[in-house]
Amino acid sequence: MKKVSRDRREVIREEMLRREKILAALREGPRTVPEVAAALGFPAGEVMFWMMGMRKYGHLEETGEPTEEGYYRYQASVKGES
Amino acid sequence: MNYDILVIGSGIGGMEAALKLGDMGYRVLLVEKEPSIGGKMILLSKVFPTLDCASCISTPKMAAAAHHPNVQVMVYTEVKEIKKNGSGTFQARLRKKPTFVDPALCTGCQQCETACTVAVPDQFNFGLVARRAAYIAFPQAVPKKAVIERAGTSPCSFACPAGIRAHGYVSLVRSGKYEEACRLILESAPFPGSLGRACYARCEQECTRAGLEGPVAIRQIKRFVADYYYGAHPEPEDAPPIAPSGKKVAVIGAGPAGLSAAFHLAKKGHAVEVFEAAPLPGGMLRYAIPAYRIPREVLDRDIKNVTTLGVKINQGKRVTDLAGLKDKGFDAVFIATGTPRGRKMKVEGEDLAGVVNALDFLRDVNAGRVSLQGKTVLVVGGGNVAIDAARTAMRLGAARVTVQYRRSRAQMPAHDWEIEAAGREGVVFEYLAAPVRFLGENGKLAEVESVQMELSEPAADGRRIPVSVVGTERKRPADLVVIAVGLEPETEYFGDQLAVNADKTIQVNPATLQTSIPFVFAGGDVVTGPSSIARAVGHGRRAAFFIDRYLRGEDLAGAEVEFDCRLPVVSKEEVLKRQESYRDLPPVSKKEILREKPGDFTEVELPLTEEEARSSAGRCLDCGVCAECRQCVATCPAGAINLAAKEAEKEVEVGSVIISTGLRLFPAGGKPQYGYGRFKNVLDAMQMDRLLAPTRPYNTVLRPSDGKIPNNIAYVLCTGSRDATVGNPLCSRVCCMYSLKQAQLLTGVLPLADVTVYYIDIRAFGKGYEEFYEQAKGMGVYFVKGRISWIEEKEDGNLLLTYEDIENGGKLSRAEHDLVVLSVGFLPAPEVRGLFSAEELAVDEFGYIREVEEDVNPGKTSIAGVFAAGSVSGARDIPDSILHAGAAAAQAAAYVERIRGKK
Ligand SMILES: Cc1cc2nc3c(=O)[nH]c(=O)nc-3n(C[C@H](O)[C@H](O)[C@H](O)COP(=O)(O)OP(=O)(O)OC[C@H]3O[C@@H](n4cnc5c(N)ncnc54)[C@H](O)[C@@H]3O)c2cc1C
Ligand code: SF4
Ligand code: SF4
Repeated sequence: MKKVSRDRREVIREEMLRREKILAALREGPRTVPEVAAALGFPAGEVMFWMMGMRKYGHLEETGEPTEEGYYRYQASVKGES
Repeated sequence: MNYDILVIGSGIGGMEAALKLGDMGYRVLLVEKEPSIGGKMILLSKVFPTLDCASCISTPKMAAAAHHPNVQVMVYTEVKEIKKNGSGTFQARLRKKPTFVDPALCTGCQQCETACTVAVPDQFNFGLVARRAAYIAFPQAVPKKAVIERAGTSPCSFACPAGIRAHGYVSLVRSGKYEEACRLILESAPFPGSLGRACYARCEQECTRAGLEGPVAIRQIKRFVADYYYGAHPEPEDAPPIAPSGKKVAVIGAGPAGLSAAFHLAKKGHAVEVFEAAPLPGGMLRYAIPAYRIPREVLDRDIKNVTTLGVKINQGKRVTDLAGLKDKGFDAVFIATGTPRGRKMKVEGEDLAGVVNALDFLRDVNAGRVSLQGKTVLVVGGGNVAIDAARTAMRLGAARVTVQYRRSRAQMPAHDWEIEAAGREGVVFEYLAAPVRFLGENGKLAEVESVQMELSEPAADGRRIPVSVVGTERKRPADLVVIAVGLEPETEYFGDQLAVNADKTIQVNPATLQTSIPFVFAGGDVVTGPSSIARAVGHGRRAAFFIDRYLRGEDLAGAEVEFDCRLPVVSKEEVLKRQESYRDLPPVSKKEILREKPGDFTEVELPLTEEEARSSAGRCLDCGVCAECRQCVATCPAGAINLAAKEAEKEVEVGSVIISTGLRLFPAGGKPQYGYGRFKNVLDAMQMDRLLAPTRPYNTVLRPSDGKIPNNIAYVLCTGSRDATVGNPLCSRVCCMYSLKQAQLLTGVLPLADVTVYYIDIRAFGKGYEEFYEQAKGMGVYFVKGRISWIEEKEDGNLLLTYEDIENGGKLSRAEHDLVVLSVGFLPAPEVRGLFSAEELAVDEFGYIREVEEDVNPGKTSIAGVFAAGSVSGARDIPDSILHAGAAAAQAAAYVERIRGKK
């Protein structure tokens, strides 16, 4: 699925809108960025902005070794759950 | 002289010069426009060729500069202008931008960042990740203090007559913080429920998004949060007790103006009593605006926000005697009696039974006294009051309701959506028509005689006056005529001591709302004439502020700046320019239950669902950047945040000036064939340095398109350097070496990854550089001699590079990589050139500051006493910048000694 990429500022602004949905997806178990993207129905590049923003502010964290395809899995951090 | 030397720019060059001079005993002012000192170096991973950690070298220098007894650091400050004095010293004008955080209190705990509801690209991570509107530049920032980015007041918040921070609650809703959103509204006004329904929403008219697909549904979002909050809190929440001031205030009139004033005065600890002529409080909201627009239980809950503060409302108490209130011990009075009287048409038969003014009609309906089953009703007028009266008559069972307006539809003051909704409910409109006579039998209305009107030729002021067309008179039977041709205040009874205008409105000082009697203030419609709820609420808030000052014996004049905390409104054009493209996000459509001849007063507008409210809020463009949602204020444990801070200007005299503002990166989008900005996995080298730095934006080096660990990375050297097609023929001197550095680091971080460097030739000229190049080769970095012609993106985010393979006869070849780094060159930073007001600071043909005696006096510029340090006069790496800064410092010191000697 190739999409015209959206302006970065517009994508980043939506982090607050997507936060609970991302955390809900992670509550089912640690997920890679493409897995969360598939669960939410958004391009992985957009989800990357949201998840890395959430990581920076302590809502989620990486866990374990990367997958064979080279993706880290992320889980909701204790703080992110509160 | 305030300082011996002014150093502008605190990168490695500026810090070095400042420290050297400080050590020599000179007093130095180091000015930096960003919130932290450190420049670009602190953001790097490591430095070549030693591979020392960049922040391990920078951080001690930053701390030394900040703590040096002879160096004063001013961050977040811009130099506006420098003028040379006759004595050889300089006069510099500085602008200290407000950070909205008191640096003396802020502990750098980052709680404001975590609470903040606005996400924007992080410029210190070159857009790879988000930061918040409240932010600390980066973890090693010096000073480590938060700043809040505010571009101005957002147009919606700026426009709100009630002083509600519209952007703030929109932003809170976007974050799912609905109760906080309502509490934010309640800081400004006690009426979220009523305003969420009946406000005319100036905010939406001003909303920047209106210039795209339509405004953010700000009013409906307000209704959503009010409903949500009232659902959770049927009774007001407990508030901390307020210390009584010992002062008493009387408020006359319990409409939105009076109740808002009472609300804010009570919060200041004053004992407030409201006197209301009607049996119940609410003013027009109860007795005029029909219940299908503001359900009465919503209004009642709004009013509880006021009474919970201990405000006493005396119902059925008309007050006409101001002196009497003073005698009863009230220290101040606020008159907010509105416009309770309907204007007369001055037409024959107006006094017949069955001819009523709209306000009396609506009041009677609201008191439950009217039935119009099967009746014929004529409403005269074209404003919102006329429409409310007509739609109300429809609901009371009238067989036929006609609105007659003497001008055309285009001139009708009622809102379009109201006219349309009335039409859908069966109200008939007759434009260019007006009654001339009401005819009765036994004192009771029986017929109306109307006439056709036409608009005159435009008069000098462009207005076209309606004039009746002779011979078009027509009679028709009618059971009820409702006259809605205007409202006016009733102020006669306050007597001569209160100055009143010809239209009966009360004269006030527009800033303070004080009347001609010092202890009496007035606001709302009784001052403005018929206006709006929001404006009345705003007047109530304003009056409360100034009454409070009056009661405390403080000066009223000049206090406006304290009352109005708005910054200048942000420009919509500037906001829209922040993005290159916008996805089309249409607003929610208005949802109303509109049916012909509605039989009851059920609310017509449907509420937004949670999902609609949230996605509507998600359309907001964050015009002012900070939304003023005040989450940071509520969270900051140090109480350091002050959103009302103002910028400050400062003038200093200095002996010498060192410019060390550095250079700027070539914007990689300037080579569109490389796809930077379009292809997610094409980065510039500064972004890669961030990914490799200890304070990196991701957990490791990952592809931005999907978070995959890259395993085949390409470097494109000379992007934007040695390239006449982009206007930069110069070699940037640093890019070869930083690329080699990154390549070496990548082989360490990602041992499985291949790294290929596409180059023209490798320039490894400095001490240890050639060895560094050999070391990279030894580590397995591939080197391909060839210039990249273009890059294409594949479905999976991988990139296809087409290049001229020079070592293989120059044939065009292709290679696939999963991440591409553009080794961008440098350009001169243009802003310093205009700083000097009297003399011209010479620059070279490329725009770098010209060193007039480069060989013998490095750093010396065309203005005596002004020196360049570091890369501001040409591309330099870190060791060279440090050396150059030392030379500039020595010369600045010598200059200061010379002018001292002359004195
Ligand atoms: C039919 C109608 C529809 C409207 N629709 C809207 C709308 O959708 N949106 C909007 O923003 N605005 C609307 N307005 C305008 C808005 O209602 C007014 O601008 C606002 O109510 C003015 O507030 P106020 O407090 O100044 O006056 P009011 O609301 O008029 O309140 C004044 C109060 O003072 C009392 N009073 C008067 N004299 C005395 C006295 N001597 N002693 C004691 N009490 C006294 C009155 O009984 C009344 O309760 C509408 C107005 C009307 C008439
Ligand atoms: S007021 Fe709100 S938007 Fe502004 S900085 Fe504070 S938390 Fe962020
Ligand atoms: S886009 Fe947002 S901040 Fe800008 S005016 Fe509209 S609601 Fe306000």
